[in-house]
Amino acid sequence: MPPVYPTLALVAAAVVVAAELALFRTGIFHQRAYWVAMLVVFGFMVPVDGWLTKLSAPIVIYRESDTSGLRPVWDILAEEFAYAFALLTLVVLAWDRAAGLDR
Amino acid sequence: MPRGRLDPAPRGHTARVDRFQYLILMGLCLAVTLPLEFAFDARVWRRPRRLAVALVPAFVVFVAWDLWASATGTWGFNPEYTVGVTLPGGMAIEELAFFLVIPICTLLTLESVRNAVAGRVPWAGRWNA
Repeated sequence: MPPVYPTLALVAAAVVVAAELALFRTGIFHQRAYWVAMLVVFGFMVPVDGWLTKLSAPIVIYRESDTSGLRPVWDILAEEFAYAFALLTLVVLAWDRAAGLDR
Repeated sequence: MPRGRLDPAPRGHTARVDRFQYLILMGLCLAVTLPLEFAFDARVWRRPRRLAVALVPAFVVFVAWDLWASATGTWGFNPEYTVGVTLPGGMAIEELAFFLVIPICTLLTLESVRNAVAGRVPWAGRWNA
């Protein structure tokens, strides 16, 4: 069995992409602003998620056997980036679908 | 002041502050991104109904995932750096703040970039999109 966290993180990312293509249809993946914003957010993710998961004094502690074990930057698990992509893209999809509110 | 009374105090104080580390981090994220609302006219905080609708789906899905992962032990929370209030299964209450704060920061960033790219931020010029 592959470790549960990276598996679910990749599934979540794929599901969100499928949800955009089949359901939300916001066209977000064709917008340069979305990709620039994601790049900025992933940049800030390093200090924030790094602080949360650094092995020297972690706030969030993972069961190592449930993870990929890959920690490319400041002890952040690689699958955290797929997790963040899924979470934040879902938020953006709902935000754009709700564009008519509070004009 | 007698030494014996002073010495333990700073250590106890530090430990108390440490338990707010997660919440302080979330507060810093909100504070750092708040200026985007005005400097880039992001209009995220000023569209509360749209913001609420945007937050709900991800909040429901990811809190459910978090409850399950905390209960099964895929991840857990360091009692030294959290306030100690947990939901059933052991999920730290701070996680609820996380799933509101980080999405808000992201939307502020997105709307700021959109405004900058579209030339709607007078002082930032036009990004030649």
